[in-house]
Amino acid sequence: MRFAHISDIHLGFQKDPALQDVEQGVFEDALDRCISMRVDFILMPGDIFHVNIPEMRVQKYAFTKFRQVYEAGIPVYVVYGSHDFSPVSNSVIDLLAAAGYIIKVSQATSNDDGTISLDFISDGRTGAKITGLSGLKAGKDREYYEKLDRAPLESEPGFKIFLFHGGIAEMKDDAANEGEMMPLSLLPRGFSYYAGGHMHRSSKREFDGYRHVVYPGTPFAGYHSDLEHNARGAERGFFIVEFEDDVESIEFVPLENTRYELVQINAENKSAEAVNLMLHQKIAEISPADKVVIVKIAGEMTNGKTADINIPAVRTSLAQRGSIVSLINKNQLKSKEYEITQAKGADRKEIETNVFSENIGQLRLDREDLTGERGVGLAGVLLHRLGAGQLANEKKAEYAERIKRDALAALGLDDDDS
Amino acid sequence: MTYKIAGQVVGGDFGCVMLRQKEGAGIEIGSLMVSEEGDSFLILQVFDMEYGSQIQEGMREMMSGVSMEQVTDAKFYEPEFVNYVLAKLKPLARVFKAGDRVVIPKSLPSFFGRLRMISSDDLKFLQRNRGSIFVGHIRSGSDKLDVPVWLPAQDVFSHHVLIPAATGRGKSNLVKCILWSVLGANSVGVLVLDAHDEYYGRRRPGLKDHQKASENLAYYTPSDPPPGALQLAINLKSIKPEHFEGIVDFSDAQLQAMHMAFGRHGRDWIKRLVLLDPSDGSIDGQGSSKDGFKSSTLTVVQRRLRMLLSLSVDGSETITSRHEVFDADTRGMTTVDDIVDQIGQGKVVVLDTSRLGGEAELIVGNVIADRLLRRYRDAKAKGDLDRKPVATIVIEEAPRVIGNDVLVSNDNVFSTIAKEGRKFKVGLTAITQLSSVIPKAILANMNTKIILGNEMKQEREAIIASASQDLSGDDKNIASLDKGEALITSIFVPFAMPIAIPLFEDLVRDRPGPRREKTRVF
Repeated sequence: MRFAHISDIHLGFQKDPALQDVEQGVFEDALDRCISMRVDFILMPGDIFHVNIPEMRVQKYAFTKFRQVYEAGIPVYVVYGSHDFSPVSNSVIDLLAAAGYIIKVSQATSNDDGTISLDFISDGRTGAKITGLSGLKAGKDREYYEKLDRAPLESEPGFKIFLFHGGIAEMKDDAANEGEMMPLSLLPRGFSYYAGGHMHRSSKREFDGYRHVVYPGTPFAGYHSDLEHNARGAERGFFIVEFEDDVESIEFVPLENTRYELVQINAENKSAEAVNLMLHQKIAEISPADKVVIVKIAGEMTNGKTADINIPAVRTSLAQRGSIVSLINKNQLKSKEYEITQAKGADRKEIETNVFSENIGQLRLDREDLTGERGVGLAGVLLHRLGAGQLANEKKAEYAERIKRDALAALGLDDDDS
Repeated sequence: MTYKIAGQVVGGDFGCVMLRQKEGAGIEIGSLMVSEEGDSFLILQVFDMEYGSQIQEGMREMMSGVSMEQVTDAKFYEPEFVNYVLAKLKPLARVFKAGDRVVIPKSLPSFFGRLRMISSDDLKFLQRNRGSIFVGHIRSGSDKLDVPVWLPAQDVFSHHVLIPAATGRGKSNLVKCILWSVLGANSVGVLVLDAHDEYYGRRRPGLKDHQKASENLAYYTPSDPPPGALQLAINLKSIKPEHFEGIVDFSDAQLQAMHMAFGRHGRDWIKRLVLLDPSDGSIDGQGSSKDGFKSSTLTVVQRRLRMLLSLSVDGSETITSRHEVFDADTRGMTTVDDIVDQIGQGKVVVLDTSRLGGEAELIVGNVIADRLLRRYRDAKAKGDLDRKPVATIVIEEAPRVIGNDVLVSNDNVFSTIAKEGRKFKVGLTAITQLSSVIPKAILANMNTKIILGNEMKQEREAIIASASQDLSGDDKNIASLDKGEALITSIFVPFAMPIAIPLFEDLVRDRPGPRREKTRVF
């Protein structure tokens, strides 16, 4: 008997059409392999989708593929993840469950004494007993575990699987922050297999009382940093688990996603001009055709502004030479000549005001209304207006026009002022 | 308001006011008394007592003989007039009634003035401020007053706390009570090295029973963590050679070898050092003659590292730790950072070090304390220190790390914290039976002392000599402190405060009950 364990697919995360194709391809490849390997069932502990109601394009191919899995007679057992969770059962997960293509395993009863009881679902073909808990954002599901009536779960005989969506503190392998982690001890003990989701890197460990705590990681990418890890050689895929009365083997099935080029530029103590030159040279050295190119520029430049780095030229060059997409990260690029000084505050508004106050002195302008306290006030108004969201039923062009009009009004300008 | 007179001033000097006790007033060592003086009143404390009599000593002895040998019901005529108790008091504080202003007294109570026992109303100036922690109730002699004592946590913990006490005087109970209060405040980050695994309360009442435990308490244990607790695993890569200094007595050559191994192999230095063949005398195990270490030096370093960290090496050169705390593989890579993060969030972090040897426990403490101090130093450099809660490290048998003999050769991070941690909001909460072996400079830096009973004169003298208030007359007072009684001397309290410490089990029993309501599960 065997089952597949796939997690954190994050369908709908990618915005670029080329990467959307990769995302869909990896998902379909994973489930096709499950069908061809004739697994008895599939476990998906959360974040199948990046949001609880993804765009129709995503729903369409997801439903198509899950139906194929269903028709192949393979049950798919799931819990909500922190991304596709819905407090009112309005997630696409619930649609798939209502259609019968997947089965939500979180069969929880809230007791009068404040405890939570969980029931098992028994897999019809294998007799494996499956239960689990959904993951909520910001570790709010921790309360579930603290209130869990553990004894019945731990004393249940047979081959038992626990699905969960959350990071385990004891399984962190470096200081990488994947959000709030919970102690392993919050999971009920004595299960045969702990099918984990939420951690995007593959790992499996054994602990006293907790055999086989396993995270397959994302099969492609659910965060922007996942793509960088992919470019650095991270292996993506899912697990196939053979079992009888106990787990007999856990094999990782690698999935291809796409090819990458990672270009790293160290801008430390260099001028903007030198960084542009280095960037140009390094880009010229790579073969970007049919690859995702990730360009990472970091360090503190001696002069120039970060905006002086000619990113559009890099994008154009890479696109002309056939790259699938170019992702340029300059979050860690700073300049000694012009640096935004960070400032603290009690709330967002205070932080914004303090940042403007700290930095406005760097501007050398003749107009008094753009400097000093008036300048800080104007910057705050502009930030607010430019950050306004699109209204319901507002077309994109109308939205752009409204934002432009509001911003110009804040500056006391008309559309035809030049 | 009329008060019951308890005694009358009959003589003495500023440090020793003599009071004749009114018959039946029940004055005890440690009793707090009040002298009403117009717009203010003086609080005094009894530090010694003796008998007084108008009958000469020889006559008293003869009367005793008559009473016992001849006339069994012989009595003094008007005994309350002729025989009495004299109490010696010292002025503690002058309280001005307007505005509850408290100053150090500089005058005597009026001669022949009548004193009364203190009441709760007299101490209403002891108010709770934001971010303060509860340590007990004011005690007058052996009477507990309904006046809670709150200490300003931020100040007290950054300026170090010393808890000196003999065995069996309630140190653990006191620390548990303090931590209980801290758990509720969430304004102090605490690292507790719990050598007896007694604070969390695995099998009896403990910190786990606090209503905010799930938010503010982190418990690390190497074995069988209860639900919500974390596995205590420290990766060997977290340990540096300097973490052994001031803790373990390595020779200069041995330390040099350890530092060279660290320089050569970085964070893998322990693993590489433990596995190398010492016979060629080089750190890289490739016969590099320039290293010039005797094979005996390397052998000793290997053996001591293995013993200290309970490491064993099997035939396939796999290193395991017998008590499972230290890991040579991938476990525990982030434990130290996680703990420091939690302390920085104002949590109480309890490490169950009961399975570790004494030195291994201190090495774990040293590694974490080192990282904590660095983190707080960095925060100060970046101007972020104000945003961090004060941090304190609770260390039992404190002379192991800040005692005269261990600091002779090398400082360690604990002594550094004791000397300069205050600048970075990192303090020590040192518990000891032997204050006398802690250097005076460090004792003087411990600006709050919660003194429990101690029958050893030498220890009392060390405490009295370094107290924040003048306790020169309190030797008997300290010696007579019973279990659950303490004297707080601190630069953050107006006078040396006698307190009654609650029983921890009572705090647990009286806590607000958990909310019993259904939980919505998605």
